[in-house]
Amino acid sequence: MSWARRLLNLVRDDRLSRELDRELAFHIAERADELRASGMSAEEAEREARRRLGNYALQKERTREVDVLVWLDTVRADLRYAWRALRASPGFALVAVLSLALGIGANTAIFTLIDAVMLRSLPVRAPEELVQVTLGERGDAFTNPLWEELRDRQNFFAGVAAYGDVQFNLAAGGEARRVRGSWVSGDFFSMLGVQPLVGRLIGVRDDHRGCPAIAVLGAGFWRSEYGSAREVVGRTILLEGKPFEVAGVVDPSFTGVTVGSETAVYAPLCAEAVVATRSSLDMRSRWWLQVLGRPQPGLELAALNARLSAIAPAAYAATLPDEYPADSRAEYLAGTFDAEPAPAGVSALRAQYSGALKVLMGVVAVVLLIACANVANLLLARSTTRQREIAVRLAIGAGRRRIVRQLLTESLLLALVSSVVGIAIAWWGSRALVSLIATQPNSIALDLSLDARVLGFTLVIATLAAVFFGLAPAWRAGRVEPVRTLHASGRGIVAGYTRISTGKLLVAGQIALSLALVIGAGLMLATFRTLSTMDPGFEQQGVLLVNVTRAQQPAAETDEAAAEQLTRERMTYTTLLERLRVLPGAAAASAAQLTPISRVAWNNVIRTEGFNVADPRDALSFINEVTDQYFATLGTPLLAGRDFDARDQPGSPRVAIVNEAMARKYFGSVDALGRVFRLGEDPAPYQVIGVVGNSRYRTLREETVPIAYIARSQSAESVSNLTFAVRSAGAPESLIPAIRQLTAEVEPSMSIQFTSLREQVARSLIRERLLAVLSGVFGALALALAVIGLYGTMAFNVARRRNEIGIRIALGSERAAVIRMVLAEAGWLLAIGLIAGTGIALAGTRTVSGFLYGLEPNDPVTIAGAALLFAIVGVAAAGVPAWRASQVDPIEALRAE
Amino acid sequence: MAKNRNDVLQGTLGMLVLKTLALHERLHGYGLTLEIQRASADLLRVEEGSLYPALHRMEQAGWVKAEWGTTEKNRQARFYRLTAAGRRQLATEQASWARLTEGVRLVLEQA
Repeated sequence: MSWARRLLNLVRDDRLSRELDRELAFHIAERADELRASGMSAEEAEREARRRLGNYALQKERTREVDVLVWLDTVRADLRYAWRALRASPGFALVAVLSLALGIGANTAIFTLIDAVMLRSLPVRAPEELVQVTLGERGDAFTNPLWEELRDRQNFFAGVAAYGDVQFNLAAGGEARRVRGSWVSGDFFSMLGVQPLVGRLIGVRDDHRGCPAIAVLGAGFWRSEYGSAREVVGRTILLEGKPFEVAGVVDPSFTGVTVGSETAVYAPLCAEAVVATRSSLDMRSRWWLQVLGRPQPGLELAALNARLSAIAPAAYAATLPDEYPADSRAEYLAGTFDAEPAPAGVSALRAQYSGALKVLMGVVAVVLLIACANVANLLLARSTTRQREIAVRLAIGAGRRRIVRQLLTESLLLALVSSVVGIAIAWWGSRALVSLIATQPNSIALDLSLDARVLGFTLVIATLAAVFFGLAPAWRAGRVEPVRTLHASGRGIVAGYTRISTGKLLVAGQIALSLALVIGAGLMLATFRTLSTMDPGFEQQGVLLVNVTRAQQPAAETDEAAAEQLTRERMTYTTLLERLRVLPGAAAASAAQLTPISRVAWNNVIRTEGFNVADPRDALSFINEVTDQYFATLGTPLLAGRDFDARDQPGSPRVAIVNEAMARKYFGSVDALGRVFRLGEDPAPYQVIGVVGNSRYRTLREETVPIAYIARSQSAESVSNLTFAVRSAGAPESLIPAIRQLTAEVEPSMSIQFTSLREQVARSLIRERLLAVLSGVFGALALALAVIGLYGTMAFNVARRRNEIGIRIALGSERAAVIRMVLAEAGWLLAIGLIAGTGIALAGTRTVSGFLYGLEPNDPVTIAGAALLFAIVGVAAAGVPAWRASQVDPIEALRAE
Repeated sequence: MAKNRNDVLQGTLGMLVLKTLALHERLHGYGLTLEIQRASADLLRVEEGSLYPALHRMEQAGWVKAEWGTTEKNRQARFYRLTAAGRRQLATEQASWARLTEGVRLVLEQA
């Protein structure tokens, strides 16, 4: 019976037991046949057969015990012996456990994140049945009218629900307090099978137009905000300044369907009309809902998709947005519905990080491989010194297989001890990682507990590692010849010193792999550096962004009332801007609908004389609406013409400022002053009065994009939300208290939110920072491990060749020549490793080219730099043993014989 | 049960099993008891209670190999066959058995 099989027997007791049952049952049946043939009755025969076999249960037990006990006994003996062997050389054990623990810990940490973000199923009833309905190529966001059509036209879902994630402002006015919220359709909770902890949840009866404003709280929010008070039901919570009645609290196991964030407040979809200035419920071009469903039992995905396709044309036809131009209409009507499995819910976090996490998983796997090579080398060196011990054991009768098994047990023990330490490292490391990607307003709630899958993963990689690093030494031990070894141990000159040994191959391999990692880290670091030090076209230091939201105004009944409301709004914003400009410490201030690198975009088709394209999408330009001094505040240079000023009023001719890219694209030259363009279907033209420098609009990675700036002062539209930018002489955060007070004086009901421009830009680089920091750390770790490996091998070889070197010196070899000899050996290893490593890097870094910016994956500077670093560190590491070799005293070395 | 038949002497069961298997390609446990009984002209009888633990011990030592198969009566049975190691073991045991019986004979036959 094989080793593995026996282990299986131990774990799966019942299987062995069943096999035995079958075997003994056969015996009884045969014996009973025989007895029946000699004249016994069937019953008697059966009883007698059993009796002869003896106590059946005891028999089974005894037979199995033989298997399990013998095996357990040898395992225990092996483990005890292994433990003693490790304790006997604590230095070796410490280095081995530490390098393995770092490797295993890094793997477990990254895997914990992958598990939490990508693999874990939602804690709901039968998560494997869940599907997400998307719009195929149009993405996964529905409009409410389209969702209602889908809901009412289908009969093939056991349950289907829509939800829209939002940030609810809990404050009555002043500085905003935002928490994660969800607008959910009526059967959201029943479809998922989520239970209330307190009170009741939102049901189908709560979801109808004009519904009362009720809310259901997430358990975490209920605990932190209400101290888990059950009397919360019936109380009122303010969402966007509107009262909502609390109906209940969700079970704590459910934190929402969006992995990575915990939903604090749920409200019925229909109540969106209560808080919105313009409700999205009937907007046919606002895409804000996600749809999850549970198909009828037995309905396969393909059949489900066929049914969805069947209802799609009618659903789209019924919801065609009126304002769409002809070409967009055709495109809209051709829309589809698509269902895909979504057992783990839906997650923006997953979309953003799964690629990066996969890269990091690959990186840490290589780190573990390098650590394994290190331990294998240590074990090899050790097995050489232990050859005598092994030879003695062989000589007194131990089997070779027994010795190999003993050594493998030692490796396994080493791996297990390391994985315990590694799990501790991972526990800490995965939390540190999450805090690295979390930002203030978007905290990340991930379940990082060590579940069975993570522990299983750790166990598997530890075992694989043990096999990997334990195999070579064990194999070598299996070939020890006791007589020769015992004889040779008296002599000083080591037999079988070879130019190419397993140990050297391992070191060259280590150097190759770690060079590849260091090159990868170099690329990531360069990318992050390029992005974070680039000139984005604006000066990000010293700018405070103040996002202001005015409370919802009652709907105006007459045109005069509407005009008056608009005037009041303009007054409020103008007053605020003027007071910000005279604030002590503020150098400049302005306002804009959008600020750079906020991931929000506004674009439209630009129509100009002489600029014609086949596809209207090629005519798209980014738009922003700004006040005067916007460019001065952000530090974007005005290249020609003038800034917006008091001349630009609602009645005056409409004007615009364009960036250089826009001027070149639509007017053919930077000199675009006086030229005219139209936006979309709007017939009124804009005249260009100024040209500004290019700047990044949505992300730092984007190419230079055309941007048209229009004047806020000329807009006749009401906006409830505006962002003020204030340039400060000192730290922008120092202005916050004064601005808080100032807004309260201008309009107390206004809600505000602060962030600095630098923070906003940094937030867009989190993924790059994560990759740069981690690949840097792992690259350094790999470098250190490889250098330790090289040093160890060289030192070991020098020690082994002490006699030979002594003789060389005695025969007149110069000490410099000895140094050269050892260094040349190390140089060969380095050279082979570096060449192989460059090859690996060239093949490997191509897979991460999507993460890079500003350089190619085969960037020669990075590769040369990394190779040079290795050469220097490697020669330094080999220098110590080389110098020691040159100091060998020939007399002493030979006397030691 | 009549006492005219000897149960297999403690310690010799393994050797008898190995020898019997050496003469057959493969046998199941029940077949082994029949074969030993037949070869000893009904003088020896295997105690069935110790046969299976012994078989499993030998399987673990690598002297025999087991596999599931079908008998003529179309029953599922576990068949055992001798391995090369088992053949060597048999030779060793037979040699020491010969020494033992020779020794015992000499002692008993001295005048």
